[in-house]
Amino acid sequence: MSSETASYSAGDGKLVVDGLTKRFGGLTAVDDFSFAVSEGEILAIIGPNGAGKSTTFNCVTGRYRPTSGTVWFNGEDITGEPMYAVVNRGLARTFQSFRPLQDRNVVQNVMLALAPNRIFSLAGLTAKTHDRAVELCERVGLGGDLETLPGELPHAGILRLGVARALASEPEMLLLDEPFAGLASEEVDELASLFESLRRNGITLAVIDHNVRGLLSLADRVVVLNFGSKLTEGSPDEIRTDPDVRRAYLGGESV
Amino acid sequence: MSTRQSLVDRTRELTRDSIAPRHLVGIVALVVLFAAPFELDTITQLTVISAIYFAIFAMSWDTVSGYTGQFSFGHSFLFAVGGYTAGLLNLGFGVTPVVSILVAILVTMIAGFVFGAPALRLSGPYFAVVTFLLPLVLLQIFILKKDIFGGTLGLSNPQSLVSSSEFAQTVFLNYYLAAIAFVVVLAVLLVVTRSNAGRVFTAIREDEVAVAACGINPTKFKLFAFVLSAAVAGTGGALYVHSPVGQPQPSQLLAVAVSINVLLASLLGGSGTITGAAAGGLFYYLLNEQIRQVGWVIPVLGVDVSQFSLVIFSLLVLALVFFLPSGILPWVMRQGRRALATARGGDVAADGGEPPLVRTYRKYVRELRELRGDDDE
Repeated sequence: MSSETASYSAGDGKLVVDGLTKRFGGLTAVDDFSFAVSEGEILAIIGPNGAGKSTTFNCVTGRYRPTSGTVWFNGEDITGEPMYAVVNRGLARTFQSFRPLQDRNVVQNVMLALAPNRIFSLAGLTAKTHDRAVELCERVGLGGDLETLPGELPHAGILRLGVARALASEPEMLLLDEPFAGLASEEVDELASLFESLRRNGITLAVIDHNVRGLLSLADRVVVLNFGSKLTEGSPDEIRTDPDVRRAYLGGESV
Repeated sequence: MSTRQSLVDRTRELTRDSIAPRHLVGIVALVVLFAAPFELDTITQLTVISAIYFAIFAMSWDTVSGYTGQFSFGHSFLFAVGGYTAGLLNLGFGVTPVVSILVAILVTMIAGFVFGAPALRLSGPYFAVVTFLLPLVLLQIFILKKDIFGGTLGLSNPQSLVSSSEFAQTVFLNYYLAAIAFVVVLAVLLVVTRSNAGRVFTAIREDEVAVAACGINPTKFKLFAFVLSAAVAGTGGALYVHSPVGQPQPSQLLAVAVSINVLLASLLGGSGTITGAAAGGLFYYLLNEQIRQVGWVIPVLGVDVSQFSLVIFSLLVLALVFFLPSGILPWVMRQGRRALATARGGDVAADGGEPPLVRTYRKYVRELRELRGDDDE
């Protein structure tokens, strides 16, 4: 394992981020951060609150334009592409605040994600789209809540909806933003097995969280982010025992 | 599959319970609109023609503001571009009304595109601010180039698109021209808003980032809504100046009051529904006219009610918006649905719906917070 800043290039993985920097005015949220995710891998990006995890996802998925650095997906430079284009390339995401559409029920939320990016179309309204949306809802465990409004779903349900919406775009890779935050431990286990099943179906995953416990058992590899820069990276076991990581979290308490 | 079976049942139930009566009411309303000239005198017909064009303007506003939540406070800009283009072509260059109207629609769509493309990139309420300024700038240009645009007084009456040697006949024909335009605009907008695009429009009103996360380009759909709205505005504006009721004048097409009246009429009828804006436009205009013509005298003050018509009208509108925040049409439909459900002894469905205005306001607050960097991500 290494903590020095390595340089990556397009061919180093399915998703490659090299030298990513994002400044908001005087604040540097992400500082020269590089990482790569291999095909079929589950990568965990952990770090304390405010370490720059979500900003990294927002830069990768085109929500923010990075101040500098490069993002490659499937070997192609996607730096600064708008979010809808990134999603259509097969790189989907969920949000920390989930961002469901509050004005429509669960199945209609998923149906919008199945609708094409075309103005003159009825494809988003057909029975076939509806059936496909129902299938996706069942896959993430929302089969019994098709007609429920997002506001009436429990916390874990809204997250499942976010995953179903992301899956509707038929992604090759999924970025999950704090999926375990605020969940009970049995819910964490259920969702972890859902993510495992996605990986078995060929979807590459990158998961960020500051709640490390659920994540370390799920991930193949862990990148630790602190103050916007990479602190270290390695296997979950290496990270568990790393003194620097302990220091970053609550001044030395065991993760 | 049991879920699919229950959905089929549910759809059938919905069709029986709410869609059929709703459509019936709509058809009856259109029949009344088309039969009315046989019962109305010529002066009243003229008032209804104005009301119809006003309703077309309201539908134009609803397409972009009611549906996508991009609030326009200056839609009169588009009405004026349509009306003045048609008027100038006809008066200045002798272009026949059919051609001047078609050109005016095209020019209005181009204007919608040219100003919409940059403005719609702004998030939060900044789009609304830009739209508020557009008609003010246009009015200044009209005043500066008074020799062309006629300044604050506007231009004289262009040639009518349809006319007859007899005035009553001309009005009668123009009534049907307006009614047909109304139905065509209504039909086109209903088709668009009930298709895929309509679902995306309302999703944009809710959360643009979520729409982008679905792989859908929100900017493209907002711009389409704006250009479509401009096409309707141009159609309304151009037909209006080529009718016996309208002239290319700032007070009729460009004033701030025009933009605000159109906005209020849509909210009153029920924004984000098209039908609500259509009905609201007719209702708003005719109510205003009605109050103006009341002959009563206020007892204590001893003044004519008509002198206070604007105050009374404004208070009425205020009360309606306050008590029926979703608008009249959605309220009537909810009541009808409830009455039907009760009559059949079924459960009354809960409505968790918030008025589009509230949704838009909440989106503004969130987008401003995100612009400030207080992102919850």
